[in-house]
Amino acid sequence: MMAAVARRRAKMVGRQVYYEQLSFWRNPFGAFFTIGFSLIFLVLFAATGGSGKVVFLHVKEIQYYVPGFAAYGIMSACFNTLAISLVNRRESGLLKRIRLSPLPAWAMIGALLLSALVVSVVQVVVLLMVGRFGFHARLPVDWAPLVIAIAVGVLCFTALGVAASTIVPNEDAAGPVVSIVFFVMLFLSGLWFPLQRGSALAQFSDYFPVGRLIRAMFAPFQLLPGASPWAWGDLGVVAIWGAVGTFVAVRRFRFEPRRS
Amino acid sequence: MGPYGLNRERPATVRYRLRVAAIVVDGLMKRYGQLEAVSDVSFEILSGEVFALLGPNGAGKTTTIEILEGFRRRDGGRVEVLGLDPADRATSMRLRERTGVVLQELAVEPYLTVREVLERNAGYYPLPRDPAEVIDLVGLSERARSRVKTLSGGQMRRLDLGLGIIGNPEVLYLDEPTTGFDPSARRDAWELVRRLTSGGTTVLLTTHYMDEAESLASRVAVMSGGRIVAAGTPQSLGGRDMSDALVRFRPPDGVAIADLPVQPTSVTAGIAVIRTDKAVEVLRVLTNWAVEEGVELAGLTCERLTLEDVYLRLVGYEEQQR
Repeated sequence: MMAAVARRRAKMVGRQVYYEQLSFWRNPFGAFFTIGFSLIFLVLFAATGGSGKVVFLHVKEIQYYVPGFAAYGIMSACFNTLAISLVNRRESGLLKRIRLSPLPAWAMIGALLLSALVVSVVQVVVLLMVGRFGFHARLPVDWAPLVIAIAVGVLCFTALGVAASTIVPNEDAAGPVVSIVFFVMLFLSGLWFPLQRGSALAQFSDYFPVGRLIRAMFAPFQLLPGASPWAWGDLGVVAIWGAVGTFVAVRRFRFEPRRS
Repeated sequence: MGPYGLNRERPATVRYRLRVAAIVVDGLMKRYGQLEAVSDVSFEILSGEVFALLGPNGAGKTTTIEILEGFRRRDGGRVEVLGLDPADRATSMRLRERTGVVLQELAVEPYLTVREVLERNAGYYPLPRDPAEVIDLVGLSERARSRVKTLSGGQMRRLDLGLGIIGNPEVLYLDEPTTGFDPSARRDAWELVRRLTSGGTTVLLTTHYMDEAESLASRVAVMSGGRIVAAGTPQSLGGRDMSDALVRFRPPDGVAIADLPVQPTSVTAGIAVIRTDKAVEVLRVLTNWAVEEGVELAGLTCERLTLEDVYLRLVGYEEQQR
């Protein structure tokens, strides 16, 4: 009986993920801004300076950019795309319609999360492949910490994406508001230019999840002598942001359009 | 719990079904802050009946329908849909499996095809209709493989109606289903609603179009300021069937108003209007006179108060105009 219920629920979520994926890959903007952008950035940055070394890390730049843009891709898929899409769905009445159908809310949110996970994994794999075969980057030594970092990153930024969608008032504001938050967070992360350890900006950046996720995804490559592949402290900060996002999302989430 | 409550089987005979109330609303109340959006609203909708809530914007129609849908909590009164309380979380999922909604907004995922959207939503329900059959029914066979974003407004609405019935609902809510339509699109939509609901679905319709209520509903309740101000069949609403008739015509050229055989109640824009409770007598005198004089009575009509006249009177339009 329990198993039958579980199987029925898994099937329901699975179907929903399937249709979410159809929607995502057919939307040229969604697919381009997430997968396309992270790939283009990686290739551009790697091609313009890929043979140099990040001064204070003493690793090839490409080794920094692969996990960096993988983290960017996760954030883009989970935070940016999801927040904008949720605002649009809420304001157009799509969320209300789902609320009035027998699809439970947990199944809808669960499907969004899993769908973002699928997109994130595809992205990380593509970036690793391009880094490996296009720019002779090394693959991670230890895969388990990378998988965990992806999982924690997806959970955190999905929660933050849902939370952000509850704060944006309407679909006109969705693009600009989400993009500004997104780029400020990126700027602080040290993705575009690695931050000097110990600098004031780096210390400030440590309070935010993006730089932390990049480091958590960098660690499994084990490029620094004696470093652990598990960046527990960084994962911890990402998880705390995820918890904050979840709290805000659960408290503020609404199915009905704001404007009515 | 009535036979129509937890039991999923529908009653066997039409006669039996007609006796069962699908929706009961008794003393419903809803407040938004200081504003009483709905106050003391009561009505019953029998199983298989098409019932219209008529009223201007802000009358409380949508709030009422949203409470019935379980989307909004009520502040007072009793509500039952198919024997269940829509506010009861324990049974709300079961109730949603047996109801369908068509909202004011046209909201469907743009990048899925018509067939995909209907197949996906069919999967939400335990006993759905066949998506292919629904596509046929709403006349979208040609567009079944088209993405939703390529549909025209009218086609979107038809898809919307299709989504409303994909779960084979026992109760269907239509919230202003033709707002913003041109007249021919509205007629098509009415025809479609009639076809979709001929199988005995109970329908609650909200609209601010009188002709829509008249065309689709067997009973109408007029809401204004959160209250029901009149209820009845479209033919009898507001004492319409008992009221005076209005005879209208354009007096022939060269005939003074004073020379007409019956004196008009009023003359506006060259049209004489006679308000009378003896329409047959007035028409006989008037037409005999015209034949004898050899003149034409251009634009001659005789009608009871239109539903629109009654409606405007009920929602206090005349009051506001003064």
